[in-house]
Amino acid sequence: MGGAELGQIFVNAVLLSGILALVALGFSLVWGIMNIVNLAHGAFIVLGAYITFFLHELFGVDPFLSIPVAMLALFALGWGIQRGLINQIIRAPLLATFLLTFGLELLIVNLINFFFKADLRSVTTAYSGTGLTLGAVRIPYIRLGALAVSLVLVAALAWYLKATRTGRAIRATGMDIDAARLTGVKVATVYAATFAIGAAMAGAAGSLLSMIVPFDPTLGGTYTQRAFAICVLGGLGNVANVVIGAAIFAFVDVFVGARLPSLSRAVTFGILVLLLILRPQGIAGKSV
Amino acid sequence: MKKAARVAAFAVLLALLLALPKFVSSYKLLTYTRFLILALMAQGWNFIGGYTGYAAFGNVAYFGIGAYTTGLLMLGRWQVAFFPALAAGALLSAFVAILLGLPILRLKGHYFAIATLGVAEALSQVADTWDSVTEGSTGIDLPLRTEGAFFYYTALAFVIGGLALTWAFSRSKLGNGCVAIREDQDAARMLGINTTLFKVVAYALSATFAALAGGLTAYQNIHVTPGDFFKIDYTLQMIIATIIGGAGTILGPVLGAAVYQLLSTYVWSRFLELHPTVLGLIIVLFIVFLPRGLMTVLARKRPRGERPFRPSDLLANVRAHRVT
Repeated sequence: MGGAELGQIFVNAVLLSGILALVALGFSLVWGIMNIVNLAHGAFIVLGAYITFFLHELFGVDPFLSIPVAMLALFALGWGIQRGLINQIIRAPLLATFLLTFGLELLIVNLINFFFKADLRSVTTAYSGTGLTLGAVRIPYIRLGALAVSLVLVAALAWYLKATRTGRAIRATGMDIDAARLTGVKVATVYAATFAIGAAMAGAAGSLLSMIVPFDPTLGGTYTQRAFAICVLGGLGNVANVVIGAAIFAFVDVFVGARLPSLSRAVTFGILVLLLILRPQGIAGKSV
Repeated sequence: MKKAARVAAFAVLLALLLALPKFVSSYKLLTYTRFLILALMAQGWNFIGGYTGYAAFGNVAYFGIGAYTTGLLMLGRWQVAFFPALAAGALLSAFVAILLGLPILRLKGHYFAIATLGVAEALSQVADTWDSVTEGSTGIDLPLRTEGAFFYYTALAFVIGGLALTWAFSRSKLGNGCVAIREDQDAARMLGINTTLFKVVAYALSATFAALAGGLTAYQNIHVTPGDFFKIDYTLQMIIATIIGGAGTILGPVLGAAVYQLLSTYVWSRFLELHPTVLGLIIVLFIVFLPRGLMTVLARKRPRGERPFRPSDLLANVRAHRVT
């Protein structure tokens, strides 16, 4: 392959890794703190995408401005789902939470499908087709904006977990639930907040994705799997690891997609399984 | 219930099941056959997921391998008869499960679940891409066989065989070893249990059952495509059936498959478009209120003490796992 193609692959990977980091961060937070693999994460992404789509379609809201709306809506939904359902079985064996979140995914995606139909939709704005051209490499403005928003949100969450009282309570609960309780942390509230933040991150990612790719109600499923792969690559527990994992995954994904498009899923998952076998604790090392 | 009464009840049930094809329409018979095939898959999953406690999320891979092996052997150059072809599919699946299980079964918890999911995804794409053997996404067509009773009786025989095998398994050193692994793997190893061997055997058993179900479904459906025979729905159905009935029990998977098929058929006929929504809701309700399955309601002895099941236990189940 030529230098131009390599350059384009490199740029595409960088642009993809921002959104992947955002998707994986919410997923990793819920997994790391609550020990729940949230299979409904993809459904939250789809909800975010539809919120942005309808705000743009019906009221002409700029998709970037609808991100906070999507995040708020998903935050509320995540809080409700955690308090109403997940919290009821959080101490049950792993399979129970796995199946519960799967049932939720089934339910939400099918409901979206029922109300909004399986039509392929996309958000198209005045600036959709435009972009920067650097030599032979093209960078669409929307993807650049999406990368910027992703990075800002990732940094904001990192700061929130590190510097605020609630953020510290969340991390403390993830490290040792009993010790956290002894120091006066309200575990149920912390769990609800954690799950709601994870859902809000997924909502933001969905908003961004709706501008970048045409989507239908099944958009989210592959992103749940990718988020899982990224968490495995990076290990759980800290924001930097997730970002590194997302970057590695984006490069593999874009590169394989460019060279072997028909086998891209098989190769990506083959690598994932190999990694799991060789280093179940993740590349970056220790998990929480 | 006295032992004699129980044996009599089983005999009556068996006679009813044997006589069934004489009385129902061929469409209804198809539903009953689906139930039996689902029961077969659930019985298989019960070995690894129920007794051994490993959340295998990729068993559809073996369903697909069974379907394709059976189909391809019956076609083209070989023209093998159905049962030898089915046996070959089961053997190949067991072999693949052993090869994959050796590395994958070292993983625990979520990691194992996703690794199996990844293997199933990868195999699905291989079946889709390997045109020279599998005909890609067009799929293959098996010889036609229209008597519904043949499939029904074959599936019934397999399920009864599965019950006998599960019963023997649950009483054997192997079965007890697997339960020990589920409860505490390190302790099991210290007691001298060859954990790798036990886990791999349980995994291969579950693959064999899935392959039998796959081969049978392939012969019944005639047309085999990667999209239909590697879809994750099968994995989920076998897990849900096992959980609804009671994981790690002998009758649980069959009972769960019956309840699932009943609900699914009913929901399908009433709410065609909202079918997955209602199924999702059923899963959620079962997991929240009856995480240990229906067998805890039916069994005379509950895990802790002799007290029979009371409706208030539904709420107690919820409270036991809640965080405040």
